[in-house]
Amino acid sequence: MVQKNIRNFCIIAHIDHGKSTLADRLLEHTGTLSKREMAEQVLDSMDLERERGITIKLKAVRLTYRAQDNQEYTLNLIDTPGHVDFSYEVSRSLAACEGALLVIDASQGIEAQTLANLYLALDHDLEIIPVINKIDLPNADPERVIRELEDNIGIPGEEAVLVSARTGEGIDKILETIVERIPPPQGDPEAPTRAMIFDSHYDQYRGAVAYARVVDGVIRVGDTILMMSSGRKFEVSDLGVLRPALVGVDALGPGDVGCIIASMKDVRDTRVGDTITNASRPAKQPLAGYRPAKPMVYCGLYPVVNEEYTDLRDALDKLQLNDAALTYEAESSAALGFGYRCGFLGLLHLEIVQERLEREFDLNLITTAPSVVYQVVLTDGSVKEVDNPAALPAITTIDHIKEPYVQASIMVPDAFVGAVMDVCQDRRGIFTHMEYITPERARIEYELPLAEILMDFFDRLKSRTKGYASLDYEFLGYRESDVVKLDILLNGNPVDALSSIVHEEKALSRGRGLAEKLKEVIPRQQFEVPIQAAIGNKIIARETVRALRKDVLAKCYGGDVSRKRKLLEKQKEGKKRMKSLGNVEVPQEAFMAILKVD
Amino acid sequence: MGVYVHIPFCEQKCHYCDFHSVVVSDQDRLSVTGSYLVSLHKEARYWSSVWGGEALFALFVGGGTPTVLPAEELADLIAFLRTELPFVDDPEITIEANPHSLTYMGARLLRQAGVNRVSLGVQAFQDHLLRGIGRIHSAEQARESVQTLKKAGLTNINLDLMFGLPGQTSHEWADTLRQTVALGPSHISCYSLILEEGTPMEKWVREGLVHVPGDDQQAEMYALACKMLTKAGYEHYEISNFSEPGFSCRHNLLYWHNKPFIGLGTGATGYVQQCRYTNTTDIQEYLRTWGEGPPAFRWSEQVSRDQEMDETMMVGMRLLGGVDEAAFRARYQVSFRDLYSDAIEELMKRGLVQFSAGSLQVTQRGLFLENQVSLAFLR
Repeated sequence: MVQKNIRNFCIIAHIDHGKSTLADRLLEHTGTLSKREMAEQVLDSMDLERERGITIKLKAVRLTYRAQDNQEYTLNLIDTPGHVDFSYEVSRSLAACEGALLVIDASQGIEAQTLANLYLALDHDLEIIPVINKIDLPNADPERVIRELEDNIGIPGEEAVLVSARTGEGIDKILETIVERIPPPQGDPEAPTRAMIFDSHYDQYRGAVAYARVVDGVIRVGDTILMMSSGRKFEVSDLGVLRPALVGVDALGPGDVGCIIASMKDVRDTRVGDTITNASRPAKQPLAGYRPAKPMVYCGLYPVVNEEYTDLRDALDKLQLNDAALTYEAESSAALGFGYRCGFLGLLHLEIVQERLEREFDLNLITTAPSVVYQVVLTDGSVKEVDNPAALPAITTIDHIKEPYVQASIMVPDAFVGAVMDVCQDRRGIFTHMEYITPERARIEYELPLAEILMDFFDRLKSRTKGYASLDYEFLGYRESDVVKLDILLNGNPVDALSSIVHEEKALSRGRGLAEKLKEVIPRQQFEVPIQAAIGNKIIARETVRALRKDVLAKCYGGDVSRKRKLLEKQKEGKKRMKSLGNVEVPQEAFMAILKVD
Repeated sequence: MGVYVHIPFCEQKCHYCDFHSVVVSDQDRLSVTGSYLVSLHKEARYWSSVWGGEALFALFVGGGTPTVLPAEELADLIAFLRTELPFVDDPEITIEANPHSLTYMGARLLRQAGVNRVSLGVQAFQDHLLRGIGRIHSAEQARESVQTLKKAGLTNINLDLMFGLPGQTSHEWADTLRQTVALGPSHISCYSLILEEGTPMEKWVREGLVHVPGDDQQAEMYALACKMLTKAGYEHYEISNFSEPGFSCRHNLLYWHNKPFIGLGTGATGYVQQCRYTNTTDIQEYLRTWGEGPPAFRWSEQVSRDQEMDETMMVGMRLLGGVDEAAFRARYQVSFRDLYSDAIEELMKRGLVQFSAGSLQVTQRGLFLENQVSLAFLR
């Protein structure tokens, strides 16, 4: 394919604005897939993605389109994940494109992620084609959305394409606009090879498969390629493009998007953002923008029964083959035994991994409360990163602690501005900016500790704004903060898995709330169980689970031994789901209680 | 070994009861109970052929309310069972009765038929508490019944009592215990009110219309019963059962020793040749079945040797005398110390069981938490 007839583009949108449906329609209209072959939303292939209606792993599809000028064009559609946890992956797929379709729901208008993604796209100098979707809906108001576009983004309204991905209306117009407006890729076929990996996945038979955009040079089957971040070399065994099934090709030239198979063991060999070059004639400089995926949130994952420990390790191994952002290392907890400390991009990422472990690997897990990474500055001046409250150094050796802050951008109808401010203020937010996108809709910016966002923040925001608020955030940096370690003692013994790091101002109310919550979920035991919340040696809250005084079937069941047996067996089953800490039986939900306390 | 016969008829259903029984009007009484008795005969004949020759030394006629049937019919039934099944010459024969449903003449008739033990459902000695749980007799009738029975020569009497009743105070419970002791029965059972799903009482409590004493208060009531009855000379031999020396219930001991027994009648449970069964609770189906044979079980299972050992421990630990080590070994050729070493060790550590006089027994603490003891033996 001639370079000037290639168009590389992606679709960016706020969640639920119809990105996947639009992608399906484009595949259909270009004949890449017939209607019959078309499963709903082909690009979201993982079950979980479909259930949650979000795209987790991005992929690239090659569409062939004969335009009105009667020339044939290659359109590479690069899918992007739609959630804030995966913003680095979004930025890499944007970097592989020259243009972007900015999809906006005709009834909802611009949302927080619309803007966040738009700014990202503009950072990459992409040509933006605004697409106003769902115009077939009865409450669609494209005029208003056009005004929002003009007023806030400065995009002339006439550039917007009105479509309904559901009915197919306007799809041809989009394809024509892509060809007209998105520039063909630049790039020198003679220069040393440089290709950027924007995604990868693990295939049971082929090993790790890298999805890459070639910028300069050509990659051919048989080439020895070099990963510029790791210095590792591999021989290319296959090259292919997705239509959307894999179709083999001999070479990928400048502007081409395809996949590279080179007997790479796992996805850590194909880091997203890394630059691939030719080992015999390497490029001098890698492409800009690579950074290793850095987990922002950590939690402990423990099997309920210790025997499942090796199963958990095997499962994490398998997941990591496909998820370079997932990190884990063995840890042990006095309370929970052996498990793994796992790092995630965000809470959604955590939930997805946890759910896959339970669903696909049939594991029964205890998840400890998620924690951000704190920077602990010690009195000797050194800095220690702590992602586990149990690992916090002794108070006397700490000079101060820094916690991560994010810049949060929240969009909400005018009527809920007060509610949003309430929630943010309550979460130690620092107000920085507010603007009205339309007279009815405001965009509010807060600086918030990331730790506060982990604690049920989005749900609270949604419930206080009747579901209207949309949220986006990005990492700002570390700030000094008065945080303390809050310990929980059961029966006088600290339970490491229940410790958390909290802000001093909130320690008392959290300590109380936690003790109360634990009292609710811990059943009565043979002995009285005191629950205490403590900071250092100071007890700040106390509750008591009173002793179980009577647990006996004082009833005449006649000779119905089997009925008696069934009742006892039921009781025994319940006992099995508990974790025994010392002589206290603690149910799984106790470990998640931390998340549910204000 | 023994026989349990279920008479599934009542004048009125108590609010808490989830045992199988139906209320029959006077009109239907003759036709329904008549056919029921005919079917009982047929069922007894069937089991007689299956049972083999092992001697039966206890018969328990329970319900429902057996005494809603005329004493003559009950006497005939007992006589029939004694000829049809291999009873010893002087079996323990117990009949359950409600205080208001026994006359002097009826009691005499039953005594002549061989009944030598009566279990009276007294429950409490406060009329408002009795009304609250749907009993149709009064405290006064209970006192009179005991005198009537004694006069008729039935001196081996059990009084069933309940604690944890709606609105019941500890004071009232103590009063019930005192009045019970004053009547001088040879046996006393104390059961706590269990809220069974599907009963009106359970619904009322769930909906907040009726309040029952909490677990802690029930524990205190139970402790009070143990204290007062032992002090009055009764031997506490099973979690809920107290007797004068030598008057423990032979029939119920079969259950606690996990021994075979025949169950007759709708809803009855039996344990014959390692088969545990529960009969259908549908009276019409029961009548049809014994018109045509074979038995209509609602449920049955073949009990393996392992399961039987577990269950022997599970029910045996309800006895204060515990499970006798030598007897267990003689029965199963294996020591329970070996089989359940982990469970026993843990229970001992928690102070719930102890070894005494060659038996494993619950401790005072274990008595209150007996479920935790029993379930430790389920593998």
